[in-house]
Amino acid sequence: MNHPYFNYYESSSLFHGSLLSIMGTRFDILFVIENKATGEVIWDKIQSELIRLDKLFNRFDPESEVSQINSEACLSPFIVSSEMWDILLSCKKYHQQTNGLFDITLQDFNKVLLNHKEKSIIFSDKNLYIDFGGYAKGYAINKIKDILVKNNVQNSFINFGNSSIFALGKHPYGDCWSIGIENPYQKGKMLGEYKLKNDAVSTSGNMPSNPKHIVDPFTGIYNEEKKMVSIITKDSVDAEVLSTSLMIAQIEKKEEILHHFNTSEIFVYNL
Amino acid sequence: MSPSNKNDQLDLGLRKFIKDLGYIAGGSVLLASTPWLQSCTPEKLEEIKGQKARIAIIGTGSRGVYHLHNLLNIPHAEIVALCDNYPPNLKTASDLCPKAKTYTDYKKMLESKDIDGVIIATPLNWHAPMVLDSLAAGKHTFCEKAMALTMDECKSIYDAYQKTDKVLYFGMQRLFDEKYVKALQMIHSGLIGDVVGMRCHWFRNNDWRRPVPSPELERKINWRLYKESSAGLMTELGSHQLEVSNWALKRIPDSVIGMGDIVFWKDSREVCDSISLTYHYKNNVKTTYETLISNKFNGMGEQVLGNKGTMELAKGQYFFEDAEPAPAILQLINQMESKAFSTVPIAGPSWVPEIETQHKPNYVIDGPISINPGVSMTGVDKDGSDELISAFCQASITGERAKNIVEECYCSTILCLMGNQAIEQQKKIDFPEKYKIPYLNF
Repeated sequence: MNHPYFNYYESSSLFHGSLLSIMGTRFDILFVIENKATGEVIWDKIQSELIRLDKLFNRFDPESEVSQINSEACLSPFIVSSEMWDILLSCKKYHQQTNGLFDITLQDFNKVLLNHKEKSIIFSDKNLYIDFGGYAKGYAINKIKDILVKNNVQNSFINFGNSSIFALGKHPYGDCWSIGIENPYQKGKMLGEYKLKNDAVSTSGNMPSNPKHIVDPFTGIYNEEKKMVSIITKDSVDAEVLSTSLMIAQIEKKEEILHHFNTSEIFVYNL
Repeated sequence: MSPSNKNDQLDLGLRKFIKDLGYIAGGSVLLASTPWLQSCTPEKLEEIKGQKARIAIIGTGSRGVYHLHNLLNIPHAEIVALCDNYPPNLKTASDLCPKAKTYTDYKKMLESKDIDGVIIATPLNWHAPMVLDSLAAGKHTFCEKAMALTMDECKSIYDAYQKTDKVLYFGMQRLFDEKYVKALQMIHSGLIGDVVGMRCHWFRNNDWRRPVPSPELERKINWRLYKESSAGLMTELGSHQLEVSNWALKRIPDSVIGMGDIVFWKDSREVCDSISLTYHYKNNVKTTYETLISNKFNGMGEQVLGNKGTMELAKGQYFFEDAEPAPAILQLINQMESKAFSTVPIAGPSWVPEIETQHKPNYVIDGPISINPGVSMTGVDKDGSDELISAFCQASITGERAKNIVEECYCSTILCLMGNQAIEQQKKIDFPEKYKIPYLNF
């Protein structure tokens, strides 16, 4: 159940759309739009796009393309859609740029073989599967941003489960969008404040309710540090990839990884 | 608490809210939706600093004394005269305020040139003659709700108000209760979607009687129970709630059906102790009004039902129908609604989705909310009554009339009286053409 919800606030021309359960989390969007009907049309497009992408990326949905890859590619080459092809290439690029720390196989991306001629994928290890958990939300945000820009929305705030945020333009009564980050181990304690203008923020980290969920693909060991990493960049996928990678990267590798990205800001919190 | 402290508190509540509205961009627009508050802004209060309104009270029973206590805490008010024809009540008030001159005949009192404003807290049948006489005597006038005992009397008051330049207030304190003012603004901004229904109720479990020292005083003291002096639970309780219903819907109902009886308190009273009414608005939205004074389980409440959520006005809480906006997102929305900008604590590692099975309340006001359990027969603290009286005293100095208060009270009183007609005649009652005034839509 997605629990779609929307509301329009006349006096501030504010549209709020929400999906309670999409890509394993909650999605909220606020955007400023002169009339409600236009807002509804845009919200419809955003919703359909999110539902479409959930269908593409959700490995627990047997009908999704990723499920089909996971069940077929260990046996024979599986020809993927052109969108999935581009995504796989981008994941490969990120795998290289992060020295192998960003890895959609969570084990060894080198066991994923891509055939450029027929745009197919095959796994060289029968137990391999792919998971877009650290990628999909950023990808979805980029798509939504395109919808907003195409529809002349100038100011919008997109929140994907608090961990993936994109702030388009500015708050209608400020010169940016200003967000705070809370210490998950100490409720109410703010760690920092980010001023955003056309910026993406991605935060990775452990929290009391979810102490280990990021795995080091080299060791197979879950990271259990009381640590949080926030990345602010212009591109939502870059932000996703970096926040996960830097969460597990050894200090000496960080510079090397960052060399490949146009990052505006990196925040590492040891909690 | 010293008087000055109490007034600071008052400033911290509604006046601070009005002040905030004045500072933020678009505040004047928000203030325009509550025009009666425009005459009592903190800036205007500053202008009359040091001046005192000379106030007289007619009717020093429980409600009159309640106002008296509030007046003693208002720096811009001075109680100069007290009037009651029941000596024990007059003495109680006079003991609290020994400097004030006492009267047993209100007409005599109205002759005094040393009175700026008159506060009337008498049985309902006295409202019309006293308000009309007070205005005719050139006094700014405050009268308790409801407006009057009959529709004709209400119309006379409304007409007199059109002809005078004096200030006229009625005891519609919800208009001055911060949690109502904010909640109604939130409703009108679309927080709970379209208003599709309204449920008002007031339940108590007591006989609604005051002790009577000797039998011949029964009708004087228990005036609420007899039709010659009272329109019963409708005017005494329902008038507040119907006023809020109209405020929420920005309309006046066109008809009412319902029933009323004596269920439990069979003690020779003439007014009902149980009432169930349905008011119909032209857009087909209905307001149910229910009151019963032999069961208090449900207390007092006004629920505004929207297609996206529910506002419990008396509790200052609201609930969403389905997906509840995440707290930080809601904070952002509320910011934009009040044209403010600040940081919201939203970023974090991940959100574990919570699918609510039960409705969780959201609060209209940050911090403690004063909730009226509906039990008291006189009044409760922090329900807007003190701000209302303070605003009236301010107006008694400046002479600035407050918009809408008379109209709101007029409409809700006519609706209460229509409710009683529906009960008596056992049929649907339409809003009588004769009593329609050019205010709000039907």
